[in-house]
Amino acid sequence: MGALQGRVACVARYALLVLPLTFVAGALLVPLGLMFVWSFWERAGFWIRPAFTLASYAEFFAGVRLSVLERSLVVAAGVTLLGLLLAYPIAYFLALRVRRDLARNVLLLFTIPFLVNYIIRTFSWVYLLSRTGPVNRALMAAGVTQRAVDWLLFSDFAVFVGLISSYMPFMIYPLWAALDGLDRRLVEASWLLGASPRVTFLRVTLPLSMPGVFAAVIFGFVGTFGESAVPIILGGVGYQLMGNTITSALDVLNYPLAAAMSSVVVATMLAFLLVWYLAFDLRAVLGKIARWRF
Amino acid sequence: MGPGRAGRAVAWAYIAALLLFLYVPLAPPLLFSLGGGGEAGTRAGAVTLRWYRQLWDNPLLVGGVQNSLLVGALVGLITPPLALLAAMAVRELRRPRLIVATVLLPLFIPGVSMGLASAFFFRQLGVTPSLLTITTVHVVWALPFAFLIILAVMATFDPMYLEAAYLHGAGRLRAFVDVELPLIRHGILGAAIFSVILSFNETVRTALVQGPNNTVQTYIWSTFLQVGLSPTLYALMSLLIAVTLGLVAVLLLVGARGAVSARGG
Repeated sequence: MGALQGRVACVARYALLVLPLTFVAGALLVPLGLMFVWSFWERAGFWIRPAFTLASYAEFFAGVRLSVLERSLVVAAGVTLLGLLLAYPIAYFLALRVRRDLARNVLLLFTIPFLVNYIIRTFSWVYLLSRTGPVNRALMAAGVTQRAVDWLLFSDFAVFVGLISSYMPFMIYPLWAALDGLDRRLVEASWLLGASPRVTFLRVTLPLSMPGVFAAVIFGFVGTFGESAVPIILGGVGYQLMGNTITSALDVLNYPLAAAMSSVVVATMLAFLLVWYLAFDLRAVLGKIARWRF
Repeated sequence: MGPGRAGRAVAWAYIAALLLFLYVPLAPPLLFSLGGGGEAGTRAGAVTLRWYRQLWDNPLLVGGVQNSLLVGALVGLITPPLALLAAMAVRELRRPRLIVATVLLPLFIPGVSMGLASAFFFRQLGVTPSLLTITTVHVVWALPFAFLIILAVMATFDPMYLEAAYLHGAGRLRAFVDVELPLIRHGILGAAIFSVILSFNETVRTALVQGPNNTVQTYIWSTFLQVGLSPTLYALMSLLIAVTLGLVAVLLLVGARGAVSARGG
């Protein structure tokens, strides 16, 4: 009796533990895989039908949409780089120069606006950057410019502002976690061996924080590369990034094309993730969250 | 070594400037929602609450609010147990790295792609878009965050307590319910609140699987696309910002309580 009961309990326990994994697989991995399959199907009335055609990819890579892909890559890379430059000093200061409880409170302050829907926050930038908005009034009051500056809104600048304010906070955490977990004795050793602060940073601190840097790059890139709302709100008419080009393909019922573009976006992200998974230790980014052996 | 007092002042000023950059966008909706009309939110003496009253005359919006509340409640109930199981799987199953990577994956899939893949999947399966399809997508989105919160709290729990319970003859379930659960309870509650916040503030994924059902956020988005922004919409946004900040306050209270009880226990 005991053995059978034990086996049932064991199976039940295993089933429970793999439930979340089954859920993610069924609700995300399978749909993503099928989306890739459906990108080779063809349009049929209001939906799609089985086929094997590269037409959607041809339409994507041949048309003006290729320039959208290029622009998305450039914008995503630019926002990610700027976000990194903005976030790294904060993470560095909080991790290495501030008491940990104070650092946690400051990190919390960075989290709170992130929890408010970024679309609502992006609407605010339309007003803040407009011709009669506070930014322009401040510039004119300070005598920086005589007339209102036009390129603040509905421009690359506006899109960058919107994307950075939406995704930069996300980049601080992995950087902080990596720097916080750094072995201080290595920095001290470098100092004792006579290295200047600059050399210590470049040859010890920065290389050791690379897992965090790479994680931050992924967070910045994933947000901006597939972003669909910010370019619509802040880019102005005709400003196309991958995200809103995908939704406009949906609007004209070109489902295979939408699936093809979306697959390219997901494949790019998975490539990043694979490099991260193979090259770095997850623990370096999760910091002290998980003490268990990985 | 280390920066002098001036260096620290510069660092704090820089942090304050970036925080200002992130917090300023929370103010304009409130400004416009109290204004007398149009976008004249700055005109003095025209403070009115009529846009807030008008919100409740719109059946489409009231329906959206009800949907958001229902979906939020479901997401808050479903996500934490799943996240808890995932966190326990990391501790107890082999290949924890793979488990962590799988559960965190939704963080790294752009919203449009996640929404589109789910929408196509549901359609191909013949599942009609409903509050349940919205809930499913929200749970996938909230799961990694809830997982990280619970993982962080579980890391403060010493597994030796479980060993002690086993030695006293408790089974796995009994040991979990009587020993571990009371100590990580606040983490599970925190994960639930965080999931509700994420659900309340989701647009892009929801818009692709909503079918005819609006949530508050998709109502704002589709109204913006169709007719643009209005004082009523700003009133709605202000309410949502207030609700979100209120939930954050609850989250912080739960966190503070948890920290106190963990230290006391």
